[in-house]
Order: sequence, then C-alpha cells, then structure tokens
Amino acid sequence: MDVHKDIRVSVQREPFSGVDDSCELGQGRTDIGAVVCFTGLVRDFNESPNVTGLTLEHYPGMTERTLENIGQEAWKRWSLKAVRIVHRVGYMAPGDGIVRVSAASAHRRDAFEACDFIMDFLKTRAPFWKKEHAKSGDYWVKERATDYADADRWQS
Amino acid sequence: MPEWRDDTEGENMQLTHLNAHGEASMVDVGDKEETRREAVASGRIVMQPETLELLVDGALPKGDVIATARIAGIQAAKRTHELIPLCHSLALSKVALEFDVDLAQSCVHVEAMCRLNGRTGVEMEALTAVSVACLTLYDMCKAVDKAMRIDAVQLEQKSGGQRGDYQRSAYASQRAGEPIVTGDSAAREVSLGDRCAAPYVRVKFLAELRERVGESEAVIALDELENCDVAGLKATLTARDSAFEALGERRTLCAINQVMANDSARITDEDEVAFFPPVTGG
Repeated sequence: MDVHKDIRVSVQREPFSGVDDSCELGQGRTDIGAVVCFTGLVRDFNESPNVTGLTLEHYPGMTERTLENIGQEAWKRWSLKAVRIVHRVGYMAPGDGIVRVSAASAHRRDAFEACDFIMDFLKTRAPFWKKEHAKSGDYWVKERATDYADADRWQS
Repeated sequence: MPEWRDDTEGENMQLTHLNAHGEASMVDVGDKEETRREAVASGRIVMQPETLELLVDGALPKGDVIATARIAGIQAAKRTHELIPLCHSLALSKVALEFDVDLAQSCVHVEAMCRLNGRTGVEMEALTAVSVACLTLYDMCKAVDKAMRIDAVQLEQKSGGQRGDYQRSAYASQRAGEPIVTGDSAAREVSLGDRCAAPYVRVKFLAELRERVGESEAVIALDELENCDVAGLKATLTARDSAFEALGERRTLCAINQVMANDSARITDEDEVAFFPPVTGG
C-alpha cells in the first residue's frame, strides 16, 4: 500500500527549528504510533580537550543523494511511515545541533532501529568532513574504527 | 569612574585597551598562553565598469594592479603596529591576500588572512592588510577613475585566543556561493572554452586532501592521462607534482560523477572526479 515514501533530506546552514520532529511528523496522521528523533550536538571536547567550534564541509550534490539513498535503504528494511534527515554544514559552536534524524512508524522497534541504522550509515558514507577549532589550533577530525564497526552490524 | 564592563555580555566584553581610569594602555600579553591565531578580513573597492575592464586587461598606466596591491597588503600587515597606536609588533607566520574581480557588482573584493602562533590576535593585521590593499588599488586606478569607493571593510572570522572564535554570520553563506559567481572562476571557464574541443576531466580535492595538495580543482585533458581510469589519473597528477602523492594513500577515497569509484573505474569526457579523505559527519 505504501506508494508514497515520505522521505525528506536537507543539507543546510541554518539551525534546526523546534525541539524535535515528532509534532510535525504526527500532524494530521493517525497511522503513526512511534517517532524516534535523534539529534547530534557539537561537544566541547573530542580529539582535543578544548574544542571552541567546528566547520563542516560537504560535497554538494553527492551529499543529498547519499542521504536520500540511506533513507530509501531504511525504508526497505523497516516498516516506516516517515523519514527526515537534516544535516548542518558551515561553522558551529559547542552545544549547536549538527544532525537530526527522525523515523516514524506504527510500532516503536521499527523507528528505533531505522534511526540507529540511518545514523550509522550517515557517519560512514555521507560526504561530510569536520574540521575542529581548538585553542591549540585547527585540525581535521579522523575517522573512527568504531563507526565502521557500528555500520557493519547492519550488513547481513 | 566609568563602568567599562558590560555585565550582560560577561567579563569578555571588557575594553582591554583602557585602564581603570579610562586611559589608553597597552595590554601586557607576557602571561597569556601562546595559541595559534588566525583572522580573515574583507573589503571591496567599487569602480566604473570601464575601469574594471582596464584592470582585468592589464591596461592601466601604472602596471599590474593586483600584484602591487597584494604586496602592499602583505607589507601593511607586517607594519600594523607602526600605524595603530596600541598594537603589538607581531611575527606573523602567514599573510595571504585574495582578490576577486566581480563584474556583476563592478568591484574588486579583497580578502586577507593573517596567522601566527602567539599571544595576541591578528584581526588588526588582517583589517590593515585589506585597507591598504584597497588604498593601493585606488592609487593604481585613480588616473582613470576618481569616483572609486572603498567600503565594507570588516572582520569575517578569527580563531584562537581566550575570547574564543568569531565568525560573521553572513560570511559562511557568501563563501558558499563564491565558486559560481566570482570573476576568477568565470575567467577559468573562458580559458577552458579554448580547449573545450578536447575531452577533459574535472578533478576536485575536498576537505583535508584539498589542504594537503594545495588545490581545490584541476582540469586535465584526457589525452594527458596515462590510462583513462582513476589509477591513470592519480599517476598523471603524481608525476606532475609530488604533492599529489596523497592520492595514492589507501585511505583516500574517490567518486566519479558523485558515485564512489575504485582505481579501475573508467573516466570519460566531462566526468567530475573527486578525491577526499574518509567521511566524518554526523
């Protein structure tokens, strides 16, 4: 019955609006029983202890397409009602939101797992790069083996 | 005694160049921690379209306008302490100026970046570099245009130091649009047009890799490639300049027309090939 896939992705400089997407996704619909919304924030410690901010770069075009594909893949694997992926680029300060992923489904397990899956794939496939600014200087953030191990969990 | 502190903004807003009596005083920076400081300032000089045309054609009586303004900006940054009373003299580790000819707005955009490892910020140096580069542009062009206007001299961003980073909010979005609209890239398109008949590949270097190879984009004729695949492109670039050896590292990734590709992937006319490090978003 799912003719229309309600998947929307956005790569933007502007901060996210609202606290989370659960109100927007549930609006005017009664088939949604669960919304899981994940928000990733800028920490003031990472590879160095005093991070004062970061600048996120991406590859316009490929980024949007990759996020769209990850949303489609999640749609295939779980029974979903809506998917939202918003990723910010440009300069951000500690405490600012970087990424927001929301998944809506009839039952909670699908939404939880889809959200988890989308984040794991986004972190290892979407062409974003973080440059952290710290008191000791600027540096490009290194990829992490744990992120790849997390993404591998879904390969089966 | 005047209250210099603005408590709504916290202690950081204190005017450090004034003492408790409101008199000018140089800050003792001896106890401050040395950090890497960077500042970017920008400004522009607006002129008649005809003047800008002469500038682009190199037809102005005083010679190469941009090259002269660049040297003037660098020299000015180094001498900021002689001009601005309470500035310390600094051993800058880098001063770079960029000029963008903007035919649409009939102006030249000037941007200066200053850097050092030290105890004071370098925003005054970047602002001085922009101001003097603009003044030099005026001097070089004034024989044909007296109505030129210097404006929008401002700090775009600074990093390092106790007061934290600053970024002008509109700056980031302006920069994002730049590659499409600057005179520089328009000029590149034109020169490319001459050889457009020959098949070519457009190569992009992203994020950390861009900084390591020192370039963001290159256009290469397909007949220059040893083989028309990703490995051939890497070999050709590496033969040209050892900076491109980074392309051969295992962690370097590649996409052709925005789809991930490996060394044996074929490259055809007008493809866009991007090289980049492992992704770190989220």
